[in-house]
Amino acid sequence: MKEVGSKKFSFSKILMYGFLTLASLLSLFPFYWMFVMATRPSAAYNSIPPTLTPGNMLVENFQKVLQQIDFFGAMWNSLILCVVVTIVVLLISSLAGFAFAKFKFPGKNILFIAILLTMIIPPQLGLIPQYFLIAKAGLLDTLQGVMILSFLNPLGIFLMRQYISGSISDELIEAAKLDGASNFKIYWKIVLPIILPAFATLGIIVFTSVWGEFLWQFTVLRDPEMYTIQVALASLNNTFKVDYGMLMSGVFWATIPLVIIFLLFNKLFIASITEGAVKS
Amino acid sequence: MKRVLSLLIILGLVSILTACNNNNDASGSDGKDSDGTVTLNFWTFGATGYDELLKEYEKENPNVKIKFKTSENADHHDALFTAISAGTGAPDIAMVEVDQLDRFKQAQDRFVNLFDQGAEEVKDQYQDWSWNTGQNVDGDFMFGLPTDIGPKALYYRTDVFEEAGLPTDPEEVANLINSPEALKDAAIQVKEETDKPFLDSMEMAYRAYLDAAPETHLNPEGELIVNQEGSPVKQAYDYAVELNEAGLVGNFEMWTPEWANAVNNGDFAAELGPGWLKGWMEGNAPDASGLFRVATLPTEFSANWGGSFLTIPAETEHAEEAYDFIEWLTSPENQLESFKSHGLFPSAPAVYEMDDFKTNEDEFFGGQVTSVVFGEAANDITDAVYKGEKYVSVNNEILTALTNVQEGADPEEEWDAAVKRAEDLVSR
Amino acid sequence: MSPFFIIFFCVGLFPILFSLYLAFQQWNGLSPMEFVGLDNFKIVLTDSLFWKSVYNTIIMGLLGTAPQLIVGIILAFLLNQVFLRFKQFYRVTIFMPYITSMVAVALVFSVLFSNQDSSMANYILGLFGLDPINWATSEWGTKIAISLMVFWRWIGYNTIIYLAGLQSIPRDLYEAATIDGASKFQQLRYITMPLLKPFILLTVFFSTVGALQLFSEPTVFLGQSAFTRSEAMTIVMYLYRDAFRLQSFGTASATAVILVIFIAVLAAINLYLTSGIGRKKKRGAGK
Repeated sequence: MKEVGSKKFSFSKILMYGFLTLASLLSLFPFYWMFVMATRPSAAYNSIPPTLTPGNMLVENFQKVLQQIDFFGAMWNSLILCVVVTIVVLLISSLAGFAFAKFKFPGKNILFIAILLTMIIPPQLGLIPQYFLIAKAGLLDTLQGVMILSFLNPLGIFLMRQYISGSISDELIEAAKLDGASNFKIYWKIVLPIILPAFATLGIIVFTSVWGEFLWQFTVLRDPEMYTIQVALASLNNTFKVDYGMLMSGVFWATIPLVIIFLLFNKLFIASITEGAVKS
Repeated sequence: MKRVLSLLIILGLVSILTACNNNNDASGSDGKDSDGTVTLNFWTFGATGYDELLKEYEKENPNVKIKFKTSENADHHDALFTAISAGTGAPDIAMVEVDQLDRFKQAQDRFVNLFDQGAEEVKDQYQDWSWNTGQNVDGDFMFGLPTDIGPKALYYRTDVFEEAGLPTDPEEVANLINSPEALKDAAIQVKEETDKPFLDSMEMAYRAYLDAAPETHLNPEGELIVNQEGSPVKQAYDYAVELNEAGLVGNFEMWTPEWANAVNNGDFAAELGPGWLKGWMEGNAPDASGLFRVATLPTEFSANWGGSFLTIPAETEHAEEAYDFIEWLTSPENQLESFKSHGLFPSAPAVYEMDDFKTNEDEFFGGQVTSVVFGEAANDITDAVYKGEKYVSVNNEILTALTNVQEGADPEEEWDAAVKRAEDLVSR
Repeated sequence: MSPFFIIFFCVGLFPILFSLYLAFQQWNGLSPMEFVGLDNFKIVLTDSLFWKSVYNTIIMGLLGTAPQLIVGIILAFLLNQVFLRFKQFYRVTIFMPYITSMVAVALVFSVLFSNQDSSMANYILGLFGLDPINWATSEWGTKIAISLMVFWRWIGYNTIIYLAGLQSIPRDLYEAATIDGASKFQQLRYITMPLLKPFILLTVFFSTVGALQLFSEPTVFLGQSAFTRSEAMTIVMYLYRDAFRLQSFGTASATAVILVIFIAVLAAINLYLTSGIGRKKKRGAGK
């Protein structure tokens, strides 16, 4: 696609690429450094000035991780957890967001504010009552016990509400209703295709935050067989005798799936943009 | 894109089902199985090697199965606290670190009294002071059996000592540095000859007297006593300030990369470290290999730093089986095993007489048998230390004051401010 | 929708009610609770450390969180340009900080901002002829370092939310504007900003909550001294210290109740202020 009126080497373009490249480098650095540490012996962690080139212990450090924890089992548990939570959050958020954006029902605003309020109690303090509930429900040591608290996502509902109210006109929905379409059909046939970019964004955010969450997962899961990757990795971190090379190796490989997930969702994002362009 | 979405949904449903299946074998972990097997949940922190040892126990006792879990220190204690507080979900056996023990002692009803399980019979196996720490104040309730302890000794760099013209042989060093004043004199000599600080940090200097005091910030009634006349905390504080004013204390806060780097390069001369510190040094200061030695500290400074206890939360349905296991695990023979495999320093003096212990040469310390030095240090300790539930927080206020002093603040003003903050903490 | 409300109850309501109840009790987590009326609030509100933590939280919110909203829009706007090459690459990398493990982040930042005069941050200051700063214990050093960390870690998060918002703006609007000779800045000012408003409101709300609940970054950056020094103690750190270091769940809950009020007030003010941005007639929002 040719952009009208944009010169080939304008100053502003150079500025823009320069800015973006600098931002990328700054963003990447700790990630790169994590990789460097994963390839070096433990003591390299403390060296001053910091070591900046990869070493040759990539395989060795990871083998140590595999000896200590059930890495792939924990990755599998995390994957199940994140996939389920992401899908449920996407569904609940888009349905609720749709309802908040396009329907009138009694107590709508109060309910919306109540949902936003749930995120206002600092999670550190909610821990004991929530643990109590989960324990009473017999869900300790289960992934369900971990999941259940993540299903209601205020950001998701808010995001979907904003997106739907901005991008779908009331006329379109009225027209569909006149054609006799059920609410669910309108959701499925009209709303869903349009909100895919928001789906992609929310999907990335939810997946990443559940993958990286530790405190709650650690509190609910005690049986090493049920460990998620963050809980398993934390057991490598033994305060007074840490093998940093091994720790960083585990942390590094546990991050790779997130990069893949980001790229997958981003595909969905890009794809939906082109689809959207065709429609409008 | 719809196809991708449907695929995701199917994937999600499948994983929910898998998650449910996984759950089935988790249930029934409490109570006896149909064949009479008892399952014990066992929570520890750090690397203890107990996961290997317990396999032997399971072999000897086929009716007992032990589910082992280890986590990071703070995570472990917070999770245990959450479970004890909520009154559900505590394990059958929990390891508790000595600094954390007092906060759990408030909940005496949530733990099994090990005296009821016959703990009195094994009392003589352990260091008296360590045993007493595991009891309540009245001495009629036993919370936990001692596992490892952290007797302190002087870790010193032979290359720095040599440069300063000090002896390097552990015996000679111990004879020379035999009092707090002698330690200061040696430190001055190091400073003058090498321009290096003797100790790494204010905390290390402060802990010299502090760890050795039987009663420090709080008394058993929960009252703050740091502000009383002759407080050992003030004495410890003043000593740290005194060393600092003479320029003998470095600015390397423990566990930071700068500190690790300084240990590795020999940027300071000595540490008043516990036995378990050597495990850290072996792994993280490779360039210092062969350069450190360990010597006995002056008796004023002989003290314990760290160590743990095995407790049985009252929720358990198998107190008897749990007790039998922890008694086995903390027996002198098995403490020797944990010492050999993971450097847990034994709380049972009988181990110090065992051949494997007495001939355990440390390559990192140039072949010195450091275990004997720490064994003597452990025997030198006389009293159990009373800490109190808010010990760590109150102590942190004093440490903050010391940090500020090192940055140039007035020691007396900082002390008064710290005491005031401590009073506020205790009143909550 | 009824399972929805059961979950809603579990997640949200129970902890809120529990905290509200606890705010009037004295409880150490183990012994029975004791009703103390408004004492907990009195203790907290007269504690100078609490007010210090409020001040710290607001300063770090202004330094670390607020600029994200502006830079995030600019980044999203640039990343949304049709002619931009390596779009995928830039998007992934800018989101990387949010993905990168806190263990690694903590270490990188503690090395960059270490206390030594030779640390990277002090070296850069030296280039400008400035004196080295103590990043671990000084009043402004800690705040600046932590704010940078917050900014760095969350900028990608806000950017992709804005990117989603930009997708809802029809592309032909920009094309028409370009033909009319509008500069990029004018496009940003007169097309992007007004139409992005619902998303700006959203990020303002969540950033306000996030900034007031700041916890992980300072805790990780300060390490051992996180709960002992006052230079960078935030409200949630103050509350956490009460609950899990001092076993004072009553005052911790009272602090939480006060925090909730702060959040509600500040979020309302912020939403009111932002709703002034690019004031424009509402388009078909179902109100």
